[in-house]
Amino acid sequence: MAATAGHNNLNAKLVLLGDMGAGKSSLVLRFVKGQFLEFQESTIGAAFFSQTLAVNDATVKFEIWDTAGQERYHSLAPMYYRGAAAAIIVYDITNADSFTRAKKWVQELQKQGNPNMVVALAGNKADLEDKRKVTAEEARVYAEENGLFFMETSAKTAANVNDVFYEIAKRLPRAQPAQKPAGMVLVDRPAEGSRAASCCS
Amino acid sequence: MYGTKSKIDLAFEYQTQAAILRPSIHSRRANLTVKFQDLYGFTVEGNVDDVNVLNEVREKVRQQGRVWWALEASKGANWYLHTTIGQGSALTSSLKFSALANAITLKKLIRKGIPPVLRPKVWFSLSGAAKKKSTVPESYYDDLTKAVEGKVTPATRQIDHDLPRTFPGHPWLDTPEGHAALRRVLVAYSFRDSDVGYCQGLNYVAALLLLVMKTEEDAFWMLAVLLENVLVNDCYTNNLSGCHVEQRVFKDLLAKKCQRIATHLEALEFDVSLVTTEWFLCLFSKSLPSETTLRVWDVIFYEGAKVIFNVALAIFKMKEDELLVTHHVGEIINVLQITTHQLFDPDDLLTVAFDKIGSMTTNTISKQRKKQEPEVMKELDQRIRRLNSLKMEGK
Ligand SMILES: Nc1nc2c(ncn2[C@@H]2O[C@H](COP(=O)(O)OP(=O)(O)OP(=O)(O)O)[C@@H](O)[C@H]2O)c(=O)[nH]1
Ligand SMILES: [Mg+2]
Repeated sequence: MAATAGHNNLNAKLVLLGDMGAGKSSLVLRFVKGQFLEFQESTIGAAFFSQTLAVNDATVKFEIWDTAGQERYHSLAPMYYRGAAAAIIVYDITNADSFTRAKKWVQELQKQGNPNMVVALAGNKADLEDKRKVTAEEARVYAEENGLFFMETSAKTAANVNDVFYEIAKRLPRAQPAQKPAGMVLVDRPAEGSRAASCCS
Repeated sequence: MYGTKSKIDLAFEYQTQAAILRPSIHSRRANLTVKFQDLYGFTVEGNVDDVNVLNEVREKVRQQGRVWWALEASKGANWYLHTTIGQGSALTSSLKFSALANAITLKKLIRKGIPPVLRPKVWFSLSGAAKKKSTVPESYYDDLTKAVEGKVTPATRQIDHDLPRTFPGHPWLDTPEGHAALRRVLVAYSFRDSDVGYCQGLNYVAALLLLVMKTEEDAFWMLAVLLENVLVNDCYTNNLSGCHVEQRVFKDLLAKKCQRIATHLEALEFDVSLVTTEWFLCLFSKSLPSETTLRVWDVIFYEGAKVIFNVALAIFKMKEDELLVTHHVGEIINVLQITTHQLFDPDDLLTVAFDKIGSMTTNTISKQRKKQEPEVMKELDQRIRRLNSLKMEGK
């Protein structure tokens, strides 16, 4: 639906949602540039990135919206998840409140988002095991109940970061003729190399 | 750089940074990216041309300084503080005339830029911050910061979280001293107005105010006057309703003033708020080079928040040709981002903003806001109700 196919190229809008400081920008930066910053600037409004992945027979070009996490920015979120093919809901495993916040995002997307949206739940900062407040088991059970796929990630060590995006790319519905490409356009030129990403912050 | 000094002495910075700006021999090759420090100590990346532009800007700033000093010499020190017209009938007509003439001179002068050394003084009086401060006891800021010391609230927690994430790497802001100053300003404000508390975005605004004003207390009053008098109401409160209003007003203006661009972007289903929200909330501090941002602020503090619209429209207008050939969200954003990041010469932007957009008065903008407010309120209200019904179902 929201992912559109052109030859073997797929364009997919992806949005990151989650509490402030959960590590949304860090996950994107790791995925797009392979970097990690100890102090990542807080995001205002949202930042846009794009990155292309080769999965099996196709290339998927992600158009990523990294949103601001502070509660009051919530009212801007629909603008970013409207028409999205995929979402990553991020929480910080060392912060129980951020998990509560993540569940609220899940609910909201289930009601308001695109029904075919591929939703991932990412428990980030998995490198901080000694400060853990949310068990992987609890999150896995929740994810199963809600039809999300779940991974614990670390933007710092890079653990599972690319995997989340690959997994989403694999699950994107394809071969369906796009009914209404919301916010998407077909690409008919060859996709850029999978590491040649344009990034904007 | 600023680390060991208790006050940020920019005049000193100018002299010391001239050397840093001279591009090294290796970077003279075309298109090589160099890192350099701009006028306010921010590290920016650019090519050799950008470095040269920045050096020219530096020279223009010096010339503009000479213009201001010459005016002080002929019209008397602080002449610009007495330009308010139409007050009291006691003024003789010749005095009224000279006040009017001064006001016209001042408006032009400010659009050409306030020299950084004069900025603290000029901003403080012309923005109304001085007046605001004069209505409370002298010790207001000190008392407030002392009274709230050690208090922990959701706002202070978020502020603490954002301190190291506000312009990381800046030679003064990103030091314990810089963090402490920024913290006091933001925390004090969060107690002054609990409806605002702390809103992400204010960290960048307050940080730049600190760099310009040099003292925390003056930065605090500038922040107060900005939020309470200059910007639209409720820009930073609970659901950013003021910001939503501004975005709608902006979209209408874009459709009117840059019709071709608006039509093209709409055809691509690109909502301009995706990029302009940050401009409005951070007042360009995260997108434009620092001196360009502050030149915009020079005018905002004198002419009001309508200037944000002029400048935002100008950014689109400047890139009309490039924007019209985009056919993809990513391309649009790239054009806008590259443009804003490279606007090292403030005059390039401000000339378009004030000469090519057509005049907009504060009055027109206020009317537009009034028109949009009910819609925004309705939409936000519906949203809250939908979310609440979600909560009920969830239980
Ligand atoms: N140890 C550790 N720290 C992380 C990790 N991911 C992010 N951080 C740190 O957590 C802080 C917040 O990360 P951001 O990526 O800015 O968080 P965000 O979700 O984008 O926050 P907002 O933009 O405010 O909504 C930064 O200082 C990061 O360096 C991680 O996997 N491990
Ligand atoms: Mg972020």
